[in-house]
Amino acid sequence: MNKIWIIIKREYLTRVRKKTFIISTLLFPLLYLGLIFGMGFIAEKSKQNLHVAIIDNSGFFSNDAINKQNVRDNSSVLTLVKGNADKVIADYKTAGYDGYIVIPAIDWKEGSDSLFFKSNKSYGSGSTAAVEAKLNRIWSDIKNDSLQIDLTKQQILTKKLGVTPKNIQDENANAKTAEGIGYIAGFLIYFILLIYGSQVMMGVMEEKTNRIAEVIVSSVKPFQMMLGKILGIGLVALTQFFLWIAFILIVYNIGKASGSGGMATQMVGSMQKIFTSVNVPLILFCFGFYFLAGFFFYSSLYGAIGSAVNEDMREAQSLSFPITMLVIISIALMTAAISDPTGPIAVWGSIIPFSSPIVMMARIPYGVPGTVPWWQLGLSMGLLVLGFILTVWFAGKIYRTGILMYGKKPTWKEMIRWAFRKN
Amino acid sequence: MAAILELQNLRKYFATQKAVDDISLTVERGQIFGLLGPNGAGKTTLIRMITGIFYPDEGNIIFDGKKFDPVNDVGYIGYMPEERGLYKKMKIGEQAMYLAQLKGLSHKDAMAKIKKWFLKFEMESWWNKKVEDLSKGMGQKLQFVTTVLHEPKLIILDEPFSGLDPVNSNLIKDEIFNLAQSGSTIIFSTHRMEQVEEICNHIVLVNKGKKILDGTVKQVKQDFKENLFSIGTEQALSSVNGIAPFDLIGSKDHSHVIRIKEGQNPNAVLQYLLQQGIAIQSFNEILPSLNDIFIKLVEGTPTARQFQKIEA
Repeated sequence: MNKIWIIIKREYLTRVRKKTFIISTLLFPLLYLGLIFGMGFIAEKSKQNLHVAIIDNSGFFSNDAINKQNVRDNSSVLTLVKGNADKVIADYKTAGYDGYIVIPAIDWKEGSDSLFFKSNKSYGSGSTAAVEAKLNRIWSDIKNDSLQIDLTKQQILTKKLGVTPKNIQDENANAKTAEGIGYIAGFLIYFILLIYGSQVMMGVMEEKTNRIAEVIVSSVKPFQMMLGKILGIGLVALTQFFLWIAFILIVYNIGKASGSGGMATQMVGSMQKIFTSVNVPLILFCFGFYFLAGFFFYSSLYGAIGSAVNEDMREAQSLSFPITMLVIISIALMTAAISDPTGPIAVWGSIIPFSSPIVMMARIPYGVPGTVPWWQLGLSMGLLVLGFILTVWFAGKIYRTGILMYGKKPTWKEMIRWAFRKN
Repeated sequence: MAAILELQNLRKYFATQKAVDDISLTVERGQIFGLLGPNGAGKTTLIRMITGIFYPDEGNIIFDGKKFDPVNDVGYIGYMPEERGLYKKMKIGEQAMYLAQLKGLSHKDAMAKIKKWFLKFEMESWWNKKVEDLSKGMGQKLQFVTTVLHEPKLIILDEPFSGLDPVNSNLIKDEIFNLAQSGSTIIFSTHRMEQVEEICNHIVLVNKGKKILDGTVKQVKQDFKENLFSIGTEQALSSVNGIAPFDLIGSKDHSHVIRIKEGQNPNAVLQYLLQQGIAIQSFNEILPSLNDIFIKLVEGTPTARQFQKIEA
């Protein structure tokens, strides 16, 4: 036992003291935020403001009606073309248009879902959606005028009934927040499994290529060596995670204290909302549990692969592919679980050990025991513990043989045979 | 006092090979014991069983008078494997400390011993260097230090001199003698016979998983001698005939190699030569080198072991 501690200490200290650890700890939240905002920014940027010629054969469109909407929303510009329609169709480009839409001779009581924005370029649906929305608003104005519906009536007509899911067992549950937290928690576990799982694999490979493995196993059991490495790297991940939480709390408190600046107050406000709308201690506890158990489950498998291959990174990649696939499948299941947290995919995905760390973490924010009954949570945790005991045992057997084996890359079949071989 | 190590009918079969097939041997305390054999003879498997890395399929290992306990006894064994190395990115001092602690030394003990050895090998200035900054020879020295640091009762060295220049080889060799003198037992595995002849008291030769030779270096040489002598004379040995008690094997200038005939002895040879009036300048017995014995015993077996199906 004492020897495992010595190994854990080395694995932990050599990693935490590295510059890359400090840099990645600081950079990851920034990259994460950058990714979220960046994607929104790019999506916004990729829309084009189109200048569209409207060739009206119905006779309902007027310059006034179109200009009214052009003023309201400048994401596209519509221009009514009168008279020289053929010339515009033939040469819309020199007239300064990106394309044109021909409105057929329809009655105001009808609509048409077969209009085309014609152009010799392809535009994304994001760009044409803005044009479509604007055209529909103009069409609504035309219908309102024809039906003689005044502004008051229009306002009455646009009144709707809104339905949002509300969990009566858990008054504070909020589906939108739960969804957000579910995504963040699920993806965090996903990143941790992949990044730190492959760190375990690389660490084991390093010991093999440095030829230190046999020196170490003459002092400790191979199983202790593997476990020490997994626990040490797990602690590194945990440290990084706590640093991030501390970072969030510091930002939160600074924001609260300064109380100024749109973004800061907004963040503080939304975080306060989150803190009151979900069961934070339960989520944190579950996150800790699924993070650690999932890490044991996957990193022991990654460790086994690291022990089986030689210095060649490509060998490691091809052999670890099935395991990486399991993690990626879990993410796919998670997306399904978030949109339907009580459906069969969500329930089974969160109970079966390989996907449960990610899928269950996406469901828990919806509420326990409202969405996730206690028995499901208990079963999921129990099975995951069994699962990682099994993978650690299995990996230990492979590790024991693989770590001293040099030469050709073993197949999965051979590795499974190692697992059942007597020592 | 009981032997430090006794192997009784050890067997270890792998899926395709009888790696170790019924080997028994005894290593006495303070011996420098040579474990010899061609590549793939089963030496490494044997050593891995002694160091607790493998469990034998059959047989017993008696270490220091008791049944070998792989968990606790490894602290009394120092093993330098042939496939050896160190963490490249780790500082040398920390590395030595880490390996010493894994052998069960306390931080304080380890520190004192590392300092002592670093001083002895003039390595004090290395403490904060990384292994990747060391030359191969320096790395080997560090490896040796980490192997013997915890003052093991049994030290197992697998090809300890590979990659070392003559100066560093001698340094390590002297240290091996020192350690043996101060009571450690050393098992020395190699296929470099000239080193064995120089260092070892006792040797065991294994081939294809079996022990084929066991004895002291002196005894083994006696056992394999072919009654060859070299004679230096002033004049040519031209008058040798059928009644001489020896056969002339070869001559070069005035030195000759002879084989004494069955039932004769060196004195008879000398007598005969004196009677012939030949002036003798030198007369020496030619003992076979371990290299010759090794080749003679191993020859005829395939150089590489063949894979076979084992019904275990």
